Amino acid sequence: MKRPRKVIVIGGGLGGLWSALRVAEAGFQVDLFSLFEVKRSHSACAQGGINACFDTKGERDSIWQHIVDTLKGGAYLANQPPVKSMCEEAPGLIQTFERMGVTFSRTAEGVMDLRLFGGVKNRRTVFAGASTGQQLLYGVDQEVRRQESLGRIQKYEWWEFLSLVLDGRDTCKGVTAMNLRTLEVKSFRADAVILATGGMGQTYGHRSTNSTNSTGAAACRAYRQGAWFANTEFFQFHPTAMLGDDKTRLMSEAARGEGGRIWVPQDPEDRRRPNDIPEQARFYFLEEWFPSYGNTVPRDVASRAIWRVVHEMGLGVDGEDKVYLDLTHLNPGFIEQRLHAILDIYRKFHGSDPVHEPMEIYPSAHYAMGGLWVDFEKDEQTGGLKFGSQRNHATNIPGLYACGECDYGYHGANRLGANSLLSASFSGRVAGESAATYLLGLQDDLLSVPEQYYESEISRQQEINRSLTESHGTENPYSLQRALGNLMSSQVGVVRDNDKLRQALESLKELEQRSMNINLQETSNWSNQGLVFSRQLQEMIRLGQVITASALARDECRGAHYKPAFDLTIPENTYPGDPAYEAYRQAWKRQNEDWLKTTIASAGKDGPTITYQPVDLSVLPPEEPRDYR
Amino acid sequence: MQTSIHNTHFLLRRLHSLLGLLPVGGFLIFHLWENSQSRFGPAHYNEQVVGWLQGLNYLTLLEIFVIALPLLLHAGYGLLILRSGHNEWRRNPWLHHRLYLLQRISGIAILLFLLFHVGWTRIWGIWEPAVKADLFGHMQSILSQPPIFLLYLLGLLLSLIHLCNGLWTMAISWGLTTSVQAQRRWFLFCIALFVLLSAMGLHGMLGFIL
Amino acid sequence: MKTIQFQIRRQDDPYSPPYWESFSIPFRKGHNVVSALMVIRENPVTREGRRVDPVAWEFNCMEEVCGACSMVINGLPRQACSTLVDNLDQPIRLEPLSKFPVIRDLMVDRSRIFTDLKRVRAWIEIDGAWNIHRGAPRVSPEAWKENYLYSRCMSCGCCMEVCPQYGEDQTFVGPATLAAVRLMNAHPTGSYHKTQRLHAIMAEGGLSDCGNAQNCVRVCPKQIPLTTAIGELGREVTLQMLRDLFGKSE
Ligand SMILES: Cc1cc2nc3c(=O)[nH]c(=O)nc-3n(C[C@H](O)[C@H](O)[C@H](O)COP(=O)(O)OP(=O)(O)OC[C@H]3O[C@@H](n4cnc5c(N)ncnc54)[C@H](O)[C@@H]3O)c2cc1C
Ligand code: HEM
Ligand code: HEM
Ligand code: SF4
Ligand code: F3S
Ligand code: FES
Repeated sequence: MKRPRKVIVIGGGLGGLWSALRVAEAGFQVDLFSLFEVKRSHSACAQGGINACFDTKGERDSIWQHIVDTLKGGAYLANQPPVKSMCEEAPGLIQTFERMGVTFSRTAEGVMDLRLFGGVKNRRTVFAGASTGQQLLYGVDQEVRRQESLGRIQKYEWWEFLSLVLDGRDTCKGVTAMNLRTLEVKSFRADAVILATGGMGQTYGHRSTNSTNSTGAAACRAYRQGAWFANTEFFQFHPTAMLGDDKTRLMSEAARGEGGRIWVPQDPEDRRRPNDIPEQARFYFLEEWFPSYGNTVPRDVASRAIWRVVHEMGLGVDGEDKVYLDLTHLNPGFIEQRLHAILDIYRKFHGSDPVHEPMEIYPSAHYAMGGLWVDFEKDEQTGGLKFGSQRNHATNIPGLYACGECDYGYHGANRLGANSLLSASFSGRVAGESAATYLLGLQDDLLSVPEQYYESEISRQQEINRSLTESHGTENPYSLQRALGNLMSSQVGVVRDNDKLRQALESLKELEQRSMNINLQETSNWSNQGLVFSRQLQEMIRLGQVITASALARDECRGAHYKPAFDLTIPENTYPGDPAYEAYRQAWKRQNEDWLKTTIASAGKDGPTITYQPVDLSVLPPEEPRDYR
Repeated sequence: MQTSIHNTHFLLRRLHSLLGLLPVGGFLIFHLWENSQSRFGPAHYNEQVVGWLQGLNYLTLLEIFVIALPLLLHAGYGLLILRSGHNEWRRNPWLHHRLYLLQRISGIAILLFLLFHVGWTRIWGIWEPAVKADLFGHMQSILSQPPIFLLYLLGLLLSLIHLCNGLWTMAISWGLTTSVQAQRRWFLFCIALFVLLSAMGLHGMLGFIL
Repeated sequence: MKTIQFQIRRQDDPYSPPYWESFSIPFRKGHNVVSALMVIRENPVTREGRRVDPVAWEFNCMEEVCGACSMVINGLPRQACSTLVDNLDQPIRLEPLSKFPVIRDLMVDRSRIFTDLKRVRAWIEIDGAWNIHRGAPRVSPEAWKENYLYSRCMSCGCCMEVCPQYGEDQTFVGPATLAAVRLMNAHPTGSYHKTQRLHAIMAEGGLSDCGNAQNCVRVCPKQIPLTTAIGELGREVTLQMLRDLFGKSE
């Protein structure tokens, strides 16, 4: 009898759990790897909600509108067939979550409630109190546990994926992984591997809203073995993150939506406590610069304005990277009721009360639109994905799939709020199904892959461990990460400039050298966290290079990627039909001809090689520029 | 499989709980009422109360099946339960945790008290007709020794804490009280019951010696 | 110079004996315990000036939603990431959770929580994770409100840490796992398999092993009404017992 075919899933966030579930349900064995108990994955952090068109608010919301919002919001950079399918499948996906037991918030008549989220006109966001991501994650986690109890899924928690095992034809036939307790490196055979290792916000150091494990290291390892990265220059910065030495924490848009005002002291030397600064000595820059929107401008606009005030005008509070987000003028009872979750987080982690004292905030790296490049197959009849195709979510390495935040799929140049829980879940489901199809088509027996491929990969990984534990270098890995974070957020952050990007590339190379000269400060070969971290750090620095090189190559402003030197803005007070506006539209279309293309980064000998790929625009041709007025 | 039938664990636990309340707790309350009759003098106590009791038909059967056996079963299984659980007296200073510990400590204390107490009254009475004939006098002589009085007082209070807190936990275990508010209200009731029964018990003890 | 003092209970691996070490870091406003530990790991020198191995601990979300960073801080189990140093008495004593096997320093192995969740079948039995073109039955906002309270349990282990009935040598599944049964039974379709779950918690280590010490509800960082769940389950199993004893047989 032939051995049952097996899939390895790396990552137990929404993406990984969904794909594991679908592979198991297709009748194949799954080995599920995660750095820690899967329930602790970063997906638990998402609070806001998940988009799906249910149109239960009498607004005539439509799936088409969801597609349009997603594509336009992403500045047309996303391939359109997958986006179309994602939006179409969203309601069914949410209902599946509901069946799994997710406690979505309810209306008076007992159906799922919807809320309004940034960048759209209709209420389309399903939510579970203030902990949607947590609830969604737990829902799938439970189903995976059930499959586990049926023997179809085997979990390897506390195992870190280190590398792919590629056979003679460069097909992925397994992985090597390290037990994070014993530090043992082992290889695992599999017919296919799915990477669902989440975001990469930690490349921005503590200036990210991501969990500390969202390093992007795993994806970067696959990249160095030949997988492509795509669109990594697109990184969403959330304008209002509360500051912290350890990490920045998200303060949702709702704070501005409910009337919060952003300001800095007019005099940069003004060191008074914020409540002592009189109204006329404050600079409400958003209200001044964007009179019609004021404080509720979209995320990227707000981030850039804050950047400008702090970096170009030197008006940061206390001379540091921070501005005030002020709620103190609002009725305490009202905001307590409307913004309870945010107030709670701020009080808990900052110790002061935003009802009485303005919050200190700054834009922070939040979501990577880019990630591992993945394929798709279009269904000519529907214009969406061809479901069941083994090409969907396949990377350029045969047998390797990617899903969740670590792929680049659905958000183009900018992500719509509440669309990433959707893309993580949907892509996980699709990747699981594709991998199952791929397995069905396989001819060879896994056991026929010679052992030497696995052994040589193990020894390569052990060698890296040895070089780190035995190195008596001078560099402290944690200080290096701080340097990396500072570098990335100041030079490759909200606002970009080619000279600075070039400098950053140099500095990153230097950092890479330094990261080869690390002193772990400990020799223990049991749960040595320094070793694990240092290995991830080296990947983060390399990933930083990919991001920077991609950003350097793209000379335009699109979505979250902003280079003022190439800015193209809608002339003020002009609307479609006006000659000035139409001239702008023509310029915008020319820009699209040059730059509406997917950035592909592949690992070259000395750094990333950047090439481009056309975008599939078959659903909604780019005729209308993004216009939030 | 119907766990509750095929696996004795649950039924035994519930039996333990029930025994604590019904025969054992019930007997205690009755017993304290019985003792409280001491106030009306030796004659009334010896003849009307004890005499009436001793005159009941099938008394021995009642004593064995309503008092001794339930008590021994409850105590025996209680000792088994005591083996689970950790002693973390100093760590969690909250009221109900203290009571949880007291429930266990008092269980053992009651057992010791009963050995002494029943031995010196009921059991001794079997060999010594004088004791049986004048229980009032017997109790009077014992209780007028201060150390023994104190011992009784302690036995009484611990038994009542055990009973009343047991009543409180029972209400949760059986699902009578679910919400925090309900549990608090029931707790107040249990405290009131404790005060009432303590007064009744003390009253009975004093009745012998005053 | 103002400093922050720590005493940390350390253990090199599961088999070696524990020992204490003291550290002191420069004062900075707004430190939480995780951010302070990060400072220590960058320069792991004890107060006596001895260079030691960095302290190992678990953390992840830094927002009190992942449940990774539970440890005993000044005697109470809490999430280290949301415990502000400014609110603690010094020296701050950090210990690993005592109810789980120590892996290293402040890191423990909580896998048992997940094994127990399997034991009580804490999931909804769905036909499969595909679209069946209809959702689950409706849920009233009132029922939602109650269920939502329970759905936030992040398996952090704090409630188990203080439960006197929970421990490595005990079979009791602990309050959080019981609350999971309560939540699953309340789901409209989850209730179809209610009896199985109730039977699971009527066995050894189940509901009746709770001694109503009610410490659990005092420490839960998510304010999950664990003792209410225990009471409600008490009612359910009482009825289940009556059904088993006097109802029609399965
Ligand atoms: C603060 C915050 C709020 C958010 N709010 C929202 C929101 O309201 N709505 C929305 O739609 N989106 C939101 N997002 C985005 C969304 O949460 C994420 O994009 C999504 O959860 C990513 O899921 P994932 O499955 O790809 O990865 P993750 O959940 O990050 O999971 C990654 C998994 O990979 C594993 N892993 C990583 N590396 C390795 C390795 N080397 N070896 C083994 N395992 C590994 C980890 O153990 C983990 O299990 C938010 C994000 C943040 C930061
Ligand atoms: C408070 C003061 C108490 C007094 C004055 C008292 C008195 C007595 C007396 C006089 C008897 C003998 C009765 C007889 O032989 O018929 C007796 C028996 C007994 N007492 Fe107490 N008692 C007291 C408290 C308690 C307490 C707190 C308990 C514990 C639960 C208890 C349990 C018993 C039992 C089990 C018997 C044997 C009953 C029997 O088998 O008939 N008593 N007590
Ligand atoms: C006067 C005699 C006694 C009375 C009236 C009594 C009554 C009770 C009651 C009502 C309960 C509550 C049960 C529940 O929570 O469901 C209880 C619990 C308990 N009893 Fe007793 N009891 C007595 C003697 C003893 C003795 C002698 C012991 C053992 C040494 C004992 C050990 C226990 C224990 C350990 C519990 C706790 C059970 C649990 O938490 O699950 N009891 N008792
Ligand atoms: S119930 Fe509370 S304390 Fe217990 S594991 Fe869940 S979140 Fe933690
Ligand atoms: S602390 Fe433990 S004993 Fe019961 S009430 Fe809570 S589970
Ligand atoms: S780090 Fe996630 S709960 Fe503290």
